[in-house]
Amino acid sequence: MFRNYLKTALRNLLRYKGFSAINIISLTIGIIGCLTIGLFVWDELQYDKFIPSGERVFRFYTTRTVNGQAGSTASVPPVFATYTQQHYPEVESTLRILMYSGKMLLEANGIKAYEDKGLIADSTFFRVFPLKFLKGDPLTALQGPRSVVITETMAEKYFGQADPADKTIKINKTDYIVKGVLADVPEHFHLEVNYILPLSGAGMDKERMSSWQWQQFFTYIKVKEGTDIGQLQAKFQEAVRKEADPRNRQAGFTYVPFLQSLHDVHLESADFIYDNAKRGNADYVKGLTIIAVFVLLIAGFNFVNLATARSFRRAKEIGVRKVIGADRKQLVLQFIGETVLLSFISILIAVAALFLLLPYLNSFTGKAIEFNPFTNPVLAVILLGITVTIGILAGIYPALMMSQFQPIKVLKGLKSSGRGQASVLRQGLVVVQFSLSALLIVCATVVYRQINFLHQKDLGFNKDQIVYFYAQGEIEKDPEAFKTELLRSPGVVSATAGYGLPGDVLAGDGIKVPGKDGEKEYPANLFIVDFDYIKTLGLSVIAGRDFSKAYATDAEKAFVINETAVKELGFGTPEQAIGRELAWSKWVPDSVNPVKRGNVIGVVKDFHYKSLHEKVSTAVLEIYPQVVAKVAIKVRTDDLANTIAFIRSAWNNFSPDYPFSYSFLDENFDKMYKSEDKLNTLLLIFTCMAIFIGCMGLFGLAAFSAEQRVKEIGIRKVLGASVISIVAMLSKSFLRLVLIASLVAFPIAWWIMNRWLEDFPYRVLISWWVFAISGLAALAIALLTISFQTIKAALSNPVTNLRTE
Amino acid sequence: MIRLNNISKWFSAGGTRNFVLRSVDLQVKPGEFISIMGPSGSGKSTLLNIIGMLDDANEGEYYFNEHAVHTLKEKHRTELYKKYIGFVFQAYHLIDELTVYENIETPLIYQDVKGAERKAMVADMLDRFQIVGKKDLFPAQLSGGQQQLVGIARALIAKPKLILADEPTGNLSSKQGEEIMEIFKKLHKEEGVTIIQVTHSEKNAAYGNRIINLLDGRIHAA
Repeated sequence: MFRNYLKTALRNLLRYKGFSAINIISLTIGIIGCLTIGLFVWDELQYDKFIPSGERVFRFYTTRTVNGQAGSTASVPPVFATYTQQHYPEVESTLRILMYSGKMLLEANGIKAYEDKGLIADSTFFRVFPLKFLKGDPLTALQGPRSVVITETMAEKYFGQADPADKTIKINKTDYIVKGVLADVPEHFHLEVNYILPLSGAGMDKERMSSWQWQQFFTYIKVKEGTDIGQLQAKFQEAVRKEADPRNRQAGFTYVPFLQSLHDVHLESADFIYDNAKRGNADYVKGLTIIAVFVLLIAGFNFVNLATARSFRRAKEIGVRKVIGADRKQLVLQFIGETVLLSFISILIAVAALFLLLPYLNSFTGKAIEFNPFTNPVLAVILLGITVTIGILAGIYPALMMSQFQPIKVLKGLKSSGRGQASVLRQGLVVVQFSLSALLIVCATVVYRQINFLHQKDLGFNKDQIVYFYAQGEIEKDPEAFKTELLRSPGVVSATAGYGLPGDVLAGDGIKVPGKDGEKEYPANLFIVDFDYIKTLGLSVIAGRDFSKAYATDAEKAFVINETAVKELGFGTPEQAIGRELAWSKWVPDSVNPVKRGNVIGVVKDFHYKSLHEKVSTAVLEIYPQVVAKVAIKVRTDDLANTIAFIRSAWNNFSPDYPFSYSFLDENFDKMYKSEDKLNTLLLIFTCMAIFIGCMGLFGLAAFSAEQRVKEIGIRKVLGASVISIVAMLSKSFLRLVLIASLVAFPIAWWIMNRWLEDFPYRVLISWWVFAISGLAALAIALLTISFQTIKAALSNPVTNLRTE
Repeated sequence: MIRLNNISKWFSAGGTRNFVLRSVDLQVKPGEFISIMGPSGSGKSTLLNIIGMLDDANEGEYYFNEHAVHTLKEKHRTELYKKYIGFVFQAYHLIDELTVYENIETPLIYQDVKGAERKAMVADMLDRFQIVGKKDLFPAQLSGGQQQLVGIARALIAKPKLILADEPTGNLSSKQGEEIMEIFKKLHKEEGVTIIQVTHSEKNAAYGNRIINLLDGRIHAA
């Protein structure tokens, strides 16, 4: 019996080549879209799943509300770990990792390079994350202050084939002993690790380590089995209210601590300020999943539409089969079998295509996804299940409808007129398809505009042609001499040294404003600058003046603040801010004068030193020669290679012990919007897919409609209708559907895009013309698609059509 | 075998009834060979369809082998006619996507006959009609007469007790038509199959042993 059905199904596919092709192509594209997203989503859900006892590991984050805006961050005070370890017996281990995102210089066996992905962590690291160790004892490897654990890639790089155990490696000019070698950490670990240094050796001030305000540690806890985490969190929030709030309120904010499960770190931390984890974005994952389902739905609807339309061609066959004894069940089975066959063919092609696309997918997402149904039987079974499910779901309605045909009616040639229930369904499906497409068009347009905006917005400073690098060795000791040397090159416009370039992760600090009721403290980002910073970065001074050597007090008693600071600190207008007093706790302990006091000498226009995802906050610039972290150089575009060479030789003169490595500031910035750029591309691809599939369906339906009305067209032509009026007549009904679809989609699209844009403090407006253009685009595309069929029908010779009577 | 009591069928067209069959009474005994004759529009095909359970009457009773067909649901009627009745159409109505072999085989599939048995039955039928050489051809590749042969073979394969033929020779040349009628005659004589045919041709009607004349939906003198 199945062989008979299979044979009929295959021959049917071949007989109605046009419809079969449209169905297979649209279904294949839909499946490819779904599978791609499916693989991506599945991979996103795998993060940290491999960690033994991972379900007992949690990470702290705090949420603070400042001026009505709530922000969360994963970097918390160091005392969280010590407090919970002391007070809660259900906490088995705690782990702190210092928030530090720089590169350190590693040297061993003559090989030196700057390596990032270094963690400075408590010695309990491997208790919380039992990663695979190749050499050494995980429990003791980080105990000594000069121990280091490196990955096997690092081991091979610096020690070759030799055993690195107990060997010395210099890190930032200090000797460390390799006490452990880690297997390279799996892709699905949320932390990137090349080497781990012990926190105990980082020289943290003991008193600072018991601070409730200094938020610079990623803190994890591992709890005992059966712990009620909600309760633990509530207890700790109460403790924070007691211990931390009083002091926090003085500084103008409060925070509330929360615990997130290890498995939520990757996807649920997207909007954390300060997070070192590899983060995805749960919203994007959900959004993409929905889009993938849309595309598959559109393909499925195509199928239902085309099958029901084509059913009239098969009416005779159905009638005959019924006469020779088929009951409804047998017919339904036969038709569903045909759909499943089609679905099977589509999946085969889709799998083959995915195989070829996989390398591109991986490079686009930065993942290492595997997709091989031959080596992975579970995958093969899932694919088979999908095939059958799609086949049944798409085929059930047409099958039920077709099996209803009365044999006598169809054998006599009395076709159903294509009106009635089936027709309403078809129109409904077309409306849904085009709604989804219109929705995607609007979203893609808005996303595109926002991304463009992000890339092109005036940042308030000039990020082009700025080379920067870490200050090392002599350069760090005497940056002014280095700058003087640099300026000898004609290619160097200006240079600055200090701490805090736009794009850097800046630790949260505070600034105090003296007043008659004492000092009020405000959170602020501190930039340690020199006399050339403002000039080099092209900040614009809108009140007061830049730092200047002409004023002796500028080095000790001057502050420059940004516009936002003027507002936040309550200074009124920028002009009114000039001369106001500020006080700042020095970073380098100074027993004589622990607090630097001075006045505001200038106000700069707000500059976006963080990504446009975040609102600019209070920024304070000051000169403080004790801290020099980076050097930034503005260079000319012409003869860039020579200029770089000059800088390199200047470097080698000053700090020959350190290799020279540099970056461009604008590249750093563009990387901030990497995930939005990807979203943009994906949205574009999927919108095109959806439109293409929808159009194929429309194409098929237009063909069917023209075929059905062949007699009517013939008569109209004989009566004198022009080609244009016939085209208009045939197109009218479809275009009306597209219009309805657009009207349905627009409010939904507006709502979705509004919510997405809300997350951006700096955003575009959704203007009305976006909708107008999307609607016109949808209409134009639909018109183009059906025009082939309608024009062909309108041009056909009425005589031939009417003759078949 | 067949008893029709007061069978009427009509179409409602804007308030009035257009009768296709009016109060038709008919009895058919097993083994009869009946020809239904009459001008176009007299309701011949409709009567045949009602007998074949492909259509229902609006009024009246129909008993087939004592089964009250007029009370049965579609599913049960299908069961009945697929077991006892074979149809032969004027337009042959073969399934174009299937070969001759498969066309003949299909009714058996719908009756859940097993593979080996099917094979034997089809082979037998092909042999009987001497179309073994054509078994892998498609209907489009056959002449009208050959297609009708296949149609008859298909109608006979499940060994029906009753054959209903609606102008079986209508699309054939006179020679082909004769061949077909000879087959019917043989079936009737040698195997006792009851045959009811609708026909325009006096010559065809002569093969049967009873003629029923229909005019405007009513039976005239038999």
